[in-house]
Parts: sequence; structure tokens; C-alpha cells
Amino acid sequence: MNGLLAKINWFGFAGGVTTIIMIAVSMVYPWWQLTVGDNLLTANASPVNTTFGALGTSFAIPFIWALNVVSLLTLLASAVAMLIYSLVPGKSYSKHLLDFGYKKPLFIVLFFVIGLVATVLICQTVLSLSIPLMGSTTSTLSIPFVSGVSITVLLTAGFQWSFGVAVVGAALCIAARLYHKKVAAVPGV
Amino acid sequence: MDKIKLILTLITITITVVPIVGVLLTYQDNLVGLFVPPEINEIADKFSGGGDGGGSDGPQVEPVGPPEIDPVSGTIRQSIEFKNTFPIDITLKSMSGDVQCVEHGFDLGVASIEEPVSIPVGETRTVTLLINWTDGAEGHLKSLHATEENVEVTLVNVGVDISGIQIGLDQNAMDQRMEIPNPWYEG
Repeated sequence: MNGLLAKINWFGFAGGVTTIIMIAVSMVYPWWQLTVGDNLLTANASPVNTTFGALGTSFAIPFIWALNVVSLLTLLASAVAMLIYSLVPGKSYSKHLLDFGYKKPLFIVLFFVIGLVATVLICQTVLSLSIPLMGSTTSTLSIPFVSGVSITVLLTAGFQWSFGVAVVGAALCIAARLYHKKVAAVPGV
Repeated sequence: MDKIKLILTLITITITVVPIVGVLLTYQDNLVGLFVPPEINEIADKFSGGGDGGGSDGPQVEPVGPPEIDPVSGTIRQSIEFKNTFPIDITLKSMSGDVQCVEHGFDLGVASIEEPVSIPVGETRTVTLLINWTDGAEGHLKSLHATEENVEVTLVNVGVDISGIQIGLDQNAMDQRMEIPNPWYEG
């Protein structure tokens, strides 16, 4: 029994489980949230579910929804591959499963952060709207053809705890790759 | 083992391509709809006049009754009816402005609302506006308006915080004149 347990790549197993938990959590809790005013406008972003809210109406943008489905399926495939691999790390096909699965959560975290930073920079450049990645800031909106009126909005943004779950999941999958040599070298594997 | 690698590659391609091609095919006759869902148009409609509040012409503000003067502090209280014409429930969190003598452009006081008020769509609530005199107001009213029972004033540099959105109106953007009682009237 001990020998069987020693054959398991526990980092990979934990990475696969955490990735599945991350998918479920991210459907409900966004990784990053932006609020304008007192919830007049909201953006709830995660790679598997991105929604916007305005004046009490919640909606998704179809193209972003498609990208979310891609991320969801990618993470799901990665989690399944990591789980199968972690239970039989010494099989001839296991290395392929590991290579398929271990990088994807990290890439999705990185693409999400890069996409978020790019979106914020584009908003600053094109719309002259200063959006914080974390924390609060006030931004003044210009009203065309109207003088003497200024509108200042409070923008509050921040990464949520679900983003932390994603980082942990990605780190565990990377750890599984680093641990692979050790577990694959167990005699009898 | 190449078979496993091939299957995994096919899975990667499939889960990447199918959702994007699917949504592109769904919206092939309406590519704008890919990025602008119908809800955005509905929200725009609400602000352009289709909402319950009657559009985005701004809130309607009407003074109710004469201003009351506190004999001890000299503070003036003015009730105001504030109609929410926005298409959403709002909270009037704060409102402030400088009260200026129309005739001389002198800063007589600072106006602010007594407490925040929540106003549902299309409804009207009474808001109490407090006017506190500046240090120089007494001297100005005694020397230049002593014979006037009421003084015509205007609100300038008005700032309103509605549900976290701060709207600032400078002197040119707002000309809301009203008469307030002169506590130092010598008639």
C-alpha cells in the first residue's frame, strides 16, 4: 500500500484537484472585480466567466464568452490529465499527460493578467480613463459640448480570493513537473 | 505513444477552435453583436428617455416653502423636493455649494444637505439644505443689505455626489437663484 502511495505524484494530484476547484469557484467568484460608483457599473472578470453589470442589468459579451469557454475546457482537460498522470506517473504515456496538463493553468493565469493590464492601458490611452488594477482612484470624465460640468467617478478594483486559488493551482501543477523525476524514479514504477 | 500525443494535440485544437468558430457562426449576420450585446443598447435606451424616470435630463429640484432661520446659530434650513429622473434608484450622498450674494458676488455661506437620501426611480424625496454663514457674511449683510428683509443669492461651485458619481457644476453651468432671509435685517 505504501509503495502504491509512493508512486503517486501528490503535487500533480493536488494540482488537478485545485484546478477543478478553481474552475468551480471561478464560475461564481471573479478573479478581478471593478466597481464604478456605488455598484453603478461593475466588471467581474475571470478566464471562465466574465460578466458586466450596469444599472442593475447583468450581461456578457459573446466574444469574451467564447474565450471563457475555451479557457474552461482547457483547464478541465488540464485537470483531468493531471489527475490521471498523478495516479500513474510511471506509465509510458504519463509524461505526455503531464506535459499536456502542467503548463495550462499557469498560462491561463499569465494570459489573464496580461490581458487585464493591456485592457487597462488601452482604456487609459484611448478613453483617457484611469482604471486601477488594485485599489481605488477617481477619474474625471469629459462631457463633449458641455462646459462648466465635471463628472468624477470613484473606481474601485481588486483581485479576489479566487485569483489566489488559481495561482496555487498553477504553482502545484508546476511543482508536479519538478517532482516528476523523483516519483518516476521510484523502483517498480 | 505518438498516438497519445496526437490525441492530446487534437483535444487542444478542438477546445480552442470550436467555441470561437461556433460563436462566429452564430453571429455571422451580426458581427457587431459579438462585442455589443443587446443589454448595452437597452441601457443606452434607458438613458436616452426610455426609462421609468423619463430620461437623463437630470434630477428635478424644487424648493418647498420659505427658508427657516435658526435664531441661535443663524443657520438657514431650506427644504427641497428632489425628483429622481434617472433610470435607476439613486442615493443623494452629499451636496454642497457656495452661497453667493447676487448683487455683489460675495460669498455669504456654504450650503450642504443634512443627511444622505435614497430615492427610487421616478420618486420624489424631500431633502434639507443647510446654509451656514461665512465669517464675513454678517459684516457684508449689515453694511450693504441692512434694509433688505431677504437677500437674493445664487449657488455656485455646486458639487453633488449621486451614488458615488460626483457631479461638479461651476458658476456658468448653474444659475439657481433664490431668496434667503437676512438675519441682520434692520427694518
